[in-house]
Amino acid sequence: MVSSIVLSGTAIGCIYALIAVTYNVMFSASRVFSFTAGTLGMLGGVLGSLFIARMGLPVAIGFLLVLAGGAVLGIVTEIVAVRPVLKSLDQHLYVLSTLALALMIQQFTAIEWSTEPLPFPRLFDIARVEFDQQFWLPMLACLVVIVSLELLYRHTLIGHAFIAIAEDNYAARALGLPERRLRMTSFALAGVIGTLAGFAGGEMLLAFFANAPMLTFYGFVPVALGGMGNNRGAVVAGLMLGLFQQTANFLVGGIFASVAVFSVFIIVLLARPEGLVGAALQRRV
Amino acid sequence: MPLTRRQALASAAAAVASTVAKPAIAAKEPILIGYLPALTGPSSSTGVGINRGIQLAVQEINAAGGIDGRQIELITRDTQSDPTKAVNGAAELTRGQKVSVVFGPVNSGESLAVVPLLARTNTPQVHPCWVDTLTDPKKYPMCFRNAPTNQQIGGAANRYVVDVLKHKKVAVISDTTGYGTASVNAYVPMLKAKGAEVVYQSNVDAANPDLKPEILRMRSAGAEAIMPWSVNAGFLSRIINTRGQMEWNVPIVGQTTLGSGQTQALLEKPDYWAKVYPNNFRPVCYTPDGKLTDRTTAFLDRLKSAKIEMADTLLWWIALGYDSPRMIAEAMKNVGSEAEQIVGYLNNLKEFPGVYGDMSFTPDRHDGYPDEEVVMVEANSLKNGAFKLAPGYSA
Repeated sequence: MVSSIVLSGTAIGCIYALIAVTYNVMFSASRVFSFTAGTLGMLGGVLGSLFIARMGLPVAIGFLLVLAGGAVLGIVTEIVAVRPVLKSLDQHLYVLSTLALALMIQQFTAIEWSTEPLPFPRLFDIARVEFDQQFWLPMLACLVVIVSLELLYRHTLIGHAFIAIAEDNYAARALGLPERRLRMTSFALAGVIGTLAGFAGGEMLLAFFANAPMLTFYGFVPVALGGMGNNRGAVVAGLMLGLFQQTANFLVGGIFASVAVFSVFIIVLLARPEGLVGAALQRRV
Repeated sequence: MPLTRRQALASAAAAVASTVAKPAIAAKEPILIGYLPALTGPSSSTGVGINRGIQLAVQEINAAGGIDGRQIELITRDTQSDPTKAVNGAAELTRGQKVSVVFGPVNSGESLAVVPLLARTNTPQVHPCWVDTLTDPKKYPMCFRNAPTNQQIGGAANRYVVDVLKHKKVAVISDTTGYGTASVNAYVPMLKAKGAEVVYQSNVDAANPDLKPEILRMRSAGAEAIMPWSVNAGFLSRIINTRGQMEWNVPIVGQTTLGSGQTQALLEKPDYWAKVYPNNFRPVCYTPDGKLTDRTTAFLDRLKSAKIEMADTLLWWIALGYDSPRMIAEAMKNVGSEAEQIVGYLNNLKEFPGVYGDMSFTPDRHDGYPDEEVVMVEANSLKNGAFKLAPGYSA
């Protein structure tokens, strides 16, 4: 029982963590919480199934096409749902615009793909074992993303530029950084991470349009718990969420597991509104 | 005012013309039957299957001369699986087209919205939706159901588990939808009344990717059969896959979706579909020796000669569609196309011979499908849209 909790809890926790990182990457570049994060995760599964299972493309090509699709959708999100509302950020209009775009994509997927969950292909033709690929693929994807982001942000010029616009947008622009292009690149990167989450978790979650709201919701919990914009916090909180959820499934089961998860979520936020890892926000007065 | 001779002649001529010409025109006018299928949208697979049977039946009735020389004209409004569009369609059929009868909608969600509306317009209605409250001779005296109720569906599954398989310890699981929770709430007391012990009962989020905890809990509780109630193929396939991975050989008995192509597509191994028994209907099932009834065999021959596709749908959907206009036409042939007469005839209908099943109504019961015809079948036996009866049923 313990191995089952650890395996599936860690795997689903990694998917939540990747969606949380998707939120964070978009947030860092724009101060906008784009609710397309879960939709990108859903599309990772649906596009993977479309390219590999339905169109019969090789896994590697299908994988690259899924990531490319995610990048394009990230850019479209920035142009359609984020850029027009940036001027009035304090009115939080992005909640409506990104949610509307997410719902449109979700409904379009339901109509054009299927309203039923469809199978996601086995990516590697190897026998099923207890530590199956459906568990280690999300873990591997999470590890690769976190290491790559750390390297990008700490050791590359473009990474420093991302941090600069995240820290102080006006100052970064005053220094001559191409803020708009960097923001679009961030959204493309977020698109890649979001679809990677859905692709790596496709065998667990299947290719199903209704994964979008589920991932949007559960992916946001690690963002809130880990501190907004904090990727390390998001990964720790995502893993904790997955493991706690799976433990609750075993111990109490049914809908009570969801109740347990959200009870703990509310208690944590009441005790530490800035999140478990985040620092309290300070505002100049 | 005095009447002139010219006026008297004119009015007499008009009176004669109205009495002579009207029946002549009426005899040629088609009989309008309103039809509210979901031909597109997320719940359209049922409607598409039913539609094939309906179209064939109307063609056959019209080719045979119609009803007393009058052709049947189906006035179709696609509900697009949307209750709002179903309501709009029903309003247009009754107020605009002034149809004699409405068949449909074919999905419960749409019927829940349409049945009260048609009751207010005094339009006879026949529908095949399972939600129990969708017939009520007092509230909806003109509404008839030519399909089983949810009570009959659950009752058949319970009978199979307790009476045929002789299992007394049962696990009942559903998703958290209205259908799932209502089914568990309705079927668990029925199981207990039959003397079964419900050792596990739960509603689980259908999006939960790992159902191993639930299945382990069922096994620990000593369950001898799993009864899932959901129309979500992903949820059902996860139950079947987890049972297979755990090599736990208990039967899974429940809703028709257990035997659907969508569920099959999500199975990790084809073998996992063994010992899975979904609901179905005896007249359209293969007997244990692989035969269909004579009536159904003749129907299959008609479908083949009409080149109607069966491989991508279910035989019971086509049969249900085929029977519906035939039953309505039978009523009209006997009593005419007036609403009160049709309802009066249907209220006393006894064993109308359908391919899907023999339909009977009384003034106090508008659910026409016989209990004993709701059966369980082997999910992995699908051939030409029909399944084989589950083990334990007599031929």
